[in-house]
Amino acid sequence: MSLGHQLIKEQLFFRKELKERVFWFIKLRWIAIAGAALCSYALFFLEPGLPVFPMIILILGVAFYNILFLFTWLRLKSFPSERVRPFEIFAHIQIVFDLVAYLFFIFLTGGIQSPFLIFVIFHIILAGILLSPVSCFIISGLVVLIFAGLMALEHTTGLPRPPGFFQNTLLTGDLEFPGALFVFLILAAFILISAFLTTSIKLSLRVKGRELLKVSKALEISNAKLMTLYEMVKEMGSLYDLQKLMDTATRNSAVITGVKGCSIKLLDEKREKFSSSYGLSEDDIAKEAINSKKEGMAAVMCLPLKVKTLLLGDICFYSEAPLFFDAEDKVFFSLIADLTALGIETINRELNKSWFLAKAAHQLRSPMNAIHTMLDMLQKGFQGPVSEKQKETLNRCNTRIKLLGDMIHDLLKIGMRRTETNHSGVLPVDITLLLQKLTDLYSPRALEKNITLTLQTAADIPRIYADEQLLDDLFSNLISNALKYTPEKGEVRIAVSMEDHCRIKFQISDTGIGIPEEDLPNLFSEFFRSENARAFTENGTGLGLVIVKEALDILKGTMAIESTLGQGTCFTCRFPVGSASRQPPLCR
Amino acid sequence: MAATKTILIIDDDKDMVNTTRIILESRNYAVEAAYNGKDGYSMIEKHPPDLILLDVMMSTNTEGFDLAYKLKNSNQYRDIPIIMLTSFPREITLQGPEKFQHILGEDWPVSEFFEKPVDPDELLAVIQDLLVGKP
Repeated sequence: MSLGHQLIKEQLFFRKELKERVFWFIKLRWIAIAGAALCSYALFFLEPGLPVFPMIILILGVAFYNILFLFTWLRLKSFPSERVRPFEIFAHIQIVFDLVAYLFFIFLTGGIQSPFLIFVIFHIILAGILLSPVSCFIISGLVVLIFAGLMALEHTTGLPRPPGFFQNTLLTGDLEFPGALFVFLILAAFILISAFLTTSIKLSLRVKGRELLKVSKALEISNAKLMTLYEMVKEMGSLYDLQKLMDTATRNSAVITGVKGCSIKLLDEKREKFSSSYGLSEDDIAKEAINSKKEGMAAVMCLPLKVKTLLLGDICFYSEAPLFFDAEDKVFFSLIADLTALGIETINRELNKSWFLAKAAHQLRSPMNAIHTMLDMLQKGFQGPVSEKQKETLNRCNTRIKLLGDMIHDLLKIGMRRTETNHSGVLPVDITLLLQKLTDLYSPRALEKNITLTLQTAADIPRIYADEQLLDDLFSNLISNALKYTPEKGEVRIAVSMEDHCRIKFQISDTGIGIPEEDLPNLFSEFFRSENARAFTENGTGLGLVIVKEALDILKGTMAIESTLGQGTCFTCRFPVGSASRQPPLCR
Repeated sequence: MAATKTILIIDDDKDMVNTTRIILESRNYAVEAAYNGKDGYSMIEKHPPDLILLDVMMSTNTEGFDLAYKLKNSNQYRDIPIIMLTSFPREITLQGPEKFQHILGEDWPVSEFFEKPVDPDELLAVIQDLLVGKP
């Protein structure tokens, strides 16, 4: 099979090209027919002696078979591009029909001396473009033979020639040997060189096209790899659990690179164990080593997981194909390793940061808790009776200590919140359930003050994707505030409902002391407390509403406050049911 | 009259241990104390208590949890009720063991979990509840 054929068969691109060219050929023929008809019409007036009638017959014949070709094309059009054969046959038929029509045309316009003899070049070029190189050369050879035959016939039998209007300037006079042979050889060379040039150019173009296809395919593959890598990094960015992050990395890395398995080992106290693995058998994971024979692993590549000079561990890729990894792959695999290392380090840093704050909270609270418990013990008479005056002092100590505890708690809470970067919830939060829990939690405090605490939840509250801790901070601070600033026998009402299907409306109203209007602008400033609040209770840090405001800002919510001094306050918070990507379509 | 119940306090805060001891002894419990998980475990091995009061963070961040899981995984000591007390903020302890990276476990290894400071009366009530029915 010729190279041209192979190329046509192999590449869908060229198959499509053949399909398109076959139709283009039919269209081109209409132009030729129109041109020939126009010329014949003009000649009818200019040279009445010319054989215009046979010419018209020829034109009608070509038009007729072109109509047939058009119908054939319409039928072939629905054939899948992979089926090349019918199009090849169709192209050959067209070329042969045109060759016959052309020869008839030559005969009518002066035989071997027709000035249209030179038009053979178009035929050869078209055959070169449309057919395989072999077919093109066969057609060209055939043309040369026909011309030789025509010359011989005209010379020996005196084939009748049309009138001399069309006398070819190249081939004037009688065709005598050896002059005629010389002319014929030039003609033959002209035809064959044209065929050669056309097929060579076409082949060279196809080779280039093939290379282009290869490059484009390679680009497509690396684009797909990079897209998957991007998705992996995106997924890793949304995680704040180290194990989940490593599992995502090993799973995606194996899928992207097409290897059988992937593992991560971290340099920690469990350094001998796989921290995460994908595609490895339970047995290997348990033994912490790969049984390459049993697993059919033929190649392995391990790369360090490091961020700058900090070595975190290693990531290994296992392939069933021997010599799977080459130098080029190393660049891409290193990219995966670096991105994974960066993800691990980011989570580690976050963990260290939040652990530091958690430990700081613990260390600050420990001595305070001990003092608190000792005071409690004294006050409750565990070490003997306490006088009323002593009890009162101990009570004061307890209150102040508790305030100090609250202050530490709130400060650390704000510190923690401001250092956290990831607030997106991964699990849906049931607000109704959360509020029920908080109401239960605060019920004893309400009972102490004889306050009626009620919770009213609408039935259509959806679960929302948000950081549950943020919602907890928001609700618990507002509930605790309401209970704190409501006198005994008062009322605190909590209500949650949906607003336009996109937002949740949380409302907490109390029959408390109220907020002076002039204090409203300062309400969310750190350590601010209204005069009346200070007078009512010293038990307040001035940080609760700061926490509320910051939580609400992260939740992208809004707040409205209505308050009447001495009658009560109503806080109304509105926040979307999910982060931007998890919003219902209508709410985006 | 029922035998005196023994309560083991494991906490690195000596003031806390002493205070809790006074509170518990006022209700006639026999109190033993250890100041770290390791000593606590050897005391349990020598003389298994009826109940353990366990702190979370001692020499390591999760020493209390480590010991609690160790006890829950042993056939011998898994039935000893454990009350865990911690000074970690509520939001950390509320999230449970997941927050404590080194611990892998499905269930809470403890019977009760309290954020310090605990009201003495509440603590005594919970202890009494947990010891009900214990011989």
